[in-house]
Amino acid sequence: MVKTLIFLTLFSSILFSSTIYEKNCVSCHKKLPVSIDKYFYRYLLKYSSEKDTKKAIYLYLKKPTKEKSVMAEAFISRFGVKPKTTLHDNELKKAINSYWRKYKVFGKLQ
Amino acid sequence: MLASKSWDIDLAQSEKQTLFRFSSLYILLSIVIISVFSYMYYDSQKELMLQEKKSLLQEHSKTLLQDLKYLHINFDKERTYPRVPNFNSAIFDSDKKLIFSTSDIKLRLHKILYLENSKIYLVNIPESYYLGAKYVVLSMSDDEVWLKKTKKELIIFNSIAFVFMLFIGYILLRLFLKPMRDAIHLLDRFIKDTTHELNTPVSTIVTNIEMIDTSLLDEKLKKKINRIDIGAKTISNIYQDLTYLTLGNKIVSNDEKLDIYHVVLERVEYFNSLALAKKVTLSITLLQNTTLVIDKAKFSKLLDNLISNAIKYNKIKGTVEIIISKNSIIVKDSGIGIEPQNISKMQERYARFNKSSGGFGIGLSIVSHIAKEYKLNIKIDSKENQGTEVIISW
Repeated sequence: MVKTLIFLTLFSSILFSSTIYEKNCVSCHKKLPVSIDKYFYRYLLKYSSEKDTKKAIYLYLKKPTKEKSVMAEAFISRFGVKPKTTLHDNELKKAINSYWRKYKVFGKLQ
Repeated sequence: MLASKSWDIDLAQSEKQTLFRFSSLYILLSIVIISVFSYMYYDSQKELMLQEKKSLLQEHSKTLLQDLKYLHINFDKERTYPRVPNFNSAIFDSDKKLIFSTSDIKLRLHKILYLENSKIYLVNIPESYYLGAKYVVLSMSDDEVWLKKTKKELIIFNSIAFVFMLFIGYILLRLFLKPMRDAIHLLDRFIKDTTHELNTPVSTIVTNIEMIDTSLLDEKLKKKINRIDIGAKTISNIYQDLTYLTLGNKIVSNDEKLDIYHVVLERVEYFNSLALAKKVTLSITLLQNTTLVIDKAKFSKLLDNLISNAIKYNKIKGTVEIIISKNSIIVKDSGIGIEPQNISKMQERYARFNKSSGGFGIGLSIVSHIAKEYKLNIKIDSKENQGTEVIISW
């Protein structure tokens, strides 16, 4: 019973995070010519670890600047810097977690 | 030890210990020096081998990075980790967390190139972290050809070096022993010359005293003659001791089956006048008569030294008891005794613990020497102011 409850809680939490991510991130990025996973690998290329990557994304989304962006200058010039996030810290972190889970390299290589 | 033996030097226990300590320390030091040089040589050979393999590993590391770059760009389509035959690799993120590995590779950051468990590792830190890989580790098996070669060289060089060090040590030992050897030889030569000069007068005195018919003399003259007899016998005893000491190693033993009781009786009679002068009672207790195959002169010398010591270091009106049993002879006195800490040193040459009586401190050294030659055991029990008991057993 307890196990089932824990599983359900975790599952619903992941589902909820995923919903935030899909609703607030994917929906906008769909409109751009560069798919959302390319941003992720840009971050990975620069920050390497999970902790550093998540931190860099968080800081950028909280206060986006040209300097903090991992994208090429030409890309910024064309599409500009995105507006500051309206999400709550908690929600933002959940969305970043979903993003990491979706595109992380760990456990995917053969 | 070898040097002392070849020079025919009878070194004291303490000197032997010093020589032994010096030799041990020298050998230990030689081993330490050789070990340090061996390690340095081994390390240099290892470094040389690693440098040789470095370029090969770097080349493969470069290829691996290109493949990782390709994989990073096309990760949505391709997820097969690049593999190189005969090489293993692993990638770690900036938190040193393993991303992927083709074998059991652990990240060590103490060196970029190192050898561990017969495997050579190269740690590469690329400028861009493809797939999040900050550390790319490449490994290959070590064929250990260099190790076999180094071991062989070390065995040969170490053996030569050790023999050379031993040779140097032997020369050093000879140099250190030279003053000691000169001093001992000087003393031995002096004793030999002195005893040679003493031989004729002492023999003349002893023979002539023995020829005097004391029954014809008056009591006063008899006493004087007796004193001369004691003095002459003491000199004769010292003379014999010194002769044994200087020629001891060269005296050829003439072993025969001896009736112990008869020899003891003969020696007790010889020392009777000496004992009387000190009012010491000499007695023989025969528990069981026994025989021993030994050189008579040497056995007499052994007994003489034990009896004369027992008289010399006795109290006035003391006793000396000689107990003969099947496997032992005990000389027991009621003398001044010896301090417990000095008992072990008693058999050393020139060892003396009582300055009130004369002597060279060679008596028990001779006893020990003879006992060693005939494999006799010596046990000394002594209590201060109560007496000493010397047990010679076989």
